[in-house]
Amino acid sequence: MDSWIAIIRLDLALFLRDRKALVLLYLVPVLMAAFFGQLTGGTGGKAERSAIGLVLVDLDGSAASRGVVAAFTNDSTFAVVVTNEAAARDRVTAGRVPVGLVFPPGFSTNLLQGIFQSDRRPVVTLLFDPSHETERSLLEGMLVPKVVSGVADGLLNVDVGRDLIARGRTNILRAQRLPEIQRRLLLDSLAQADAFLESRRTSVARTNAVAGPAELPLPYRVDAQPLTRVAGARYNGFAHSFAGMSLQFVLMVMIDLAVGLLTERQSGTFRRLRAAPLSRATLLLGKATSYAIIALSTFVVSFAVAMSAFGVRIHGSWIGFVAVILALCYFSATLALALAAIGRTPKATRGLAIPVVLILLMLGGAWIPSFIFPSWVRTVSLWMPTGWGIEALDAMTWRGLDVSAVFLPVAGLVAVGTLLGGIAWRRFRWDGGPGS
Amino acid sequence: MNTEGSAPVVLAARNLVRRFGDRVAVDGISFEVRAGESVGLLGPNGAGKTTTFSMVTGLLRPDSGELLLGGAALVSDTDPIKRRLGLVPQDLALYEELDARRNLGFFAAIQGVGRSRIPEAVRSALEFVGLSDRADDRVGTFSGGMKRRLNLAAALLHDPDILLLDEPTVGVDPQSRNAIFDNIAELRRRGKTLLYTTHYMEEVERLCDRVIIIDRGRIVADDSLARLRHRAGAGAGAELRIELEEPAPETLTGILRDIPGIGSVRIDGRSVQVRVGSLAAGSSQVLGRLAEAGIGVRSFSAEPPNLEAVFLELTGRSLRDS
Repeated sequence: MDSWIAIIRLDLALFLRDRKALVLLYLVPVLMAAFFGQLTGGTGGKAERSAIGLVLVDLDGSAASRGVVAAFTNDSTFAVVVTNEAAARDRVTAGRVPVGLVFPPGFSTNLLQGIFQSDRRPVVTLLFDPSHETERSLLEGMLVPKVVSGVADGLLNVDVGRDLIARGRTNILRAQRLPEIQRRLLLDSLAQADAFLESRRTSVARTNAVAGPAELPLPYRVDAQPLTRVAGARYNGFAHSFAGMSLQFVLMVMIDLAVGLLTERQSGTFRRLRAAPLSRATLLLGKATSYAIIALSTFVVSFAVAMSAFGVRIHGSWIGFVAVILALCYFSATLALALAAIGRTPKATRGLAIPVVLILLMLGGAWIPSFIFPSWVRTVSLWMPTGWGIEALDAMTWRGLDVSAVFLPVAGLVAVGTLLGGIAWRRFRWDGGPGS
Repeated sequence: MNTEGSAPVVLAARNLVRRFGDRVAVDGISFEVRAGESVGLLGPNGAGKTTTFSMVTGLLRPDSGELLLGGAALVSDTDPIKRRLGLVPQDLALYEELDARRNLGFFAAIQGVGRSRIPEAVRSALEFVGLSDRADDRVGTFSGGMKRRLNLAAALLHDPDILLLDEPTVGVDPQSRNAIFDNIAELRRRGKTLLYTTHYMEEVERLCDRVIIIDRGRIVADDSLARLRHRAGAGAGAELRIELEEPAPETLTGILRDIPGIGSVRIDGRSVQVRVGSLAAGSSQVLGRLAEAGIGVRSFSAEPPNLEAVFLELTGRSLRDS
């Protein structure tokens, strides 16, 4: 019994002496849980939801179309930008906004006629980023109430519609200057409409009795257009997942390499290296290069499999694609060096590196689509180099954007990588401190 | 090989000072090592020995003073003059996941051995330490002694003039230790200059012809082994071993301890061991008191002072226990 207690006490004493382990055990899970809880709704009513980016193009310019635009603008679910069609297509194609709507000329006129004549229904173009199917479905669903509230709330209601028709018939009969032939045509049209609405009432009543309430047919059609830059380029979910997962495992390997660097220093091999005509810069450069090669090999293998087995294609620029991969390798390698330099000991480095990498991956969108993030998290995630890299890989694969689309992300990754390299250069010590 | 006074100075430390915060680890150490000399660097833990050694090997920069290799100051990490040094670190500075050949190949490249000459340098080093037949085995599968030998081989790849050996036999079995001694002895025969740190006095006595003793950051002795022994004979005392004709009486301990300058006294039946401050004076006093007490002596011998005694005399501390 004494031995048993002694073992327990020893282990607890050792554990409590390891402050980094304490941080890892107690603080990191709390932070991660808080973060994920925030993503998935927090405490309920007060949780902040992020708005979905939406570009609207109003080619009709009627009061009705403006009403629909206003209905979307007033809905906090969406962050609306009203623009022209070319700009809207550019924004969606580049992935800056997930969805857009184009209301065509004659939208409101055709909308009314489309209630009774399906071939007259206006076509609303729904532009969407193919990687954002969820937002597309949501928008398509929300379009109905917006149109109803913005334009045709009354006409889509059978009773109100028949009342409007009755009042219209009265006005037509009272119009003394109206040519008889026109009067008859209008009255015939209203009669047909009234008959249609009556038939709908009967149909609705029958359907409701069997299967619950039904709706009138939509007075418009939706032409959903997935947008990519290159004709024939199609969204491939594997392109995004291979980018995210490759980067994830590259960063995981970088944790091991950072810890390994310090273990190597502890093993004494650095003493031998220091006795050789070798500079610290050469050592760090050599390490960074080998880490970058390891990262590169991961990307190469992953995308080779993605291309050969999962149909991933580089629809954008090959130069851009290679530039992004190399920039990510550079960033990952210098991150490993910086983590080792800041952590200083293998245990401390592991304790530091795990949360850093997890945050980079989560906020970079490697795991969870960024649109479900609260807006403040989305703001923070804009600063994540991992997010820049993944977005840039998307741009070069299924989005099919040209090389200019990666200029900024690559420059950002190189800048952050250089900053991390500078930290490593300033802080990394290749000796173990004083001896006897 | 003792080349004192005749060979050129290949390594010179001039007034080296190194502080860690407020603590002065090395306080003005100066010494020279001549070509072909084998010098032992001794000191208790915390004496400044490792700091001195680290400065000599370029691992630490002195706060003041200078270090000259072949008359030239070491000015930077990449100074080619460092190729004159070969370091055998106390830690097993090897990559256990790699085989012996890959390990040595890497260290040869780091030392600037030309790519075309690396295979031969590796082959030669492996042969020297007797590990040719294990060249392609992973180092992790080696015994402790084999790793120590490979650790030595890694310092020889670029054929350095000066070998810096930091406790190269720590934790090895007697057989491997002897193998390493043989290797080092062979290096001495080849004219290599050796600077050797160890806690084992017998290693210094066997391998070195000059000893530098450091204590509290300063050199307290720097001389040949012979001179140090001579000095110890005068000051560090000796151990007398006496065999009595009859079992020792209970009063003998008190009788011997009354002698001025007497050290430890151990009595076991007829066997008596006495440490005295001076061999000549001490032995006559002890034998005189025994005669006065009527205690017959069957045999008498005196052990000459060893390096341990010298160390104790100079530092007041035992080397391994300090």
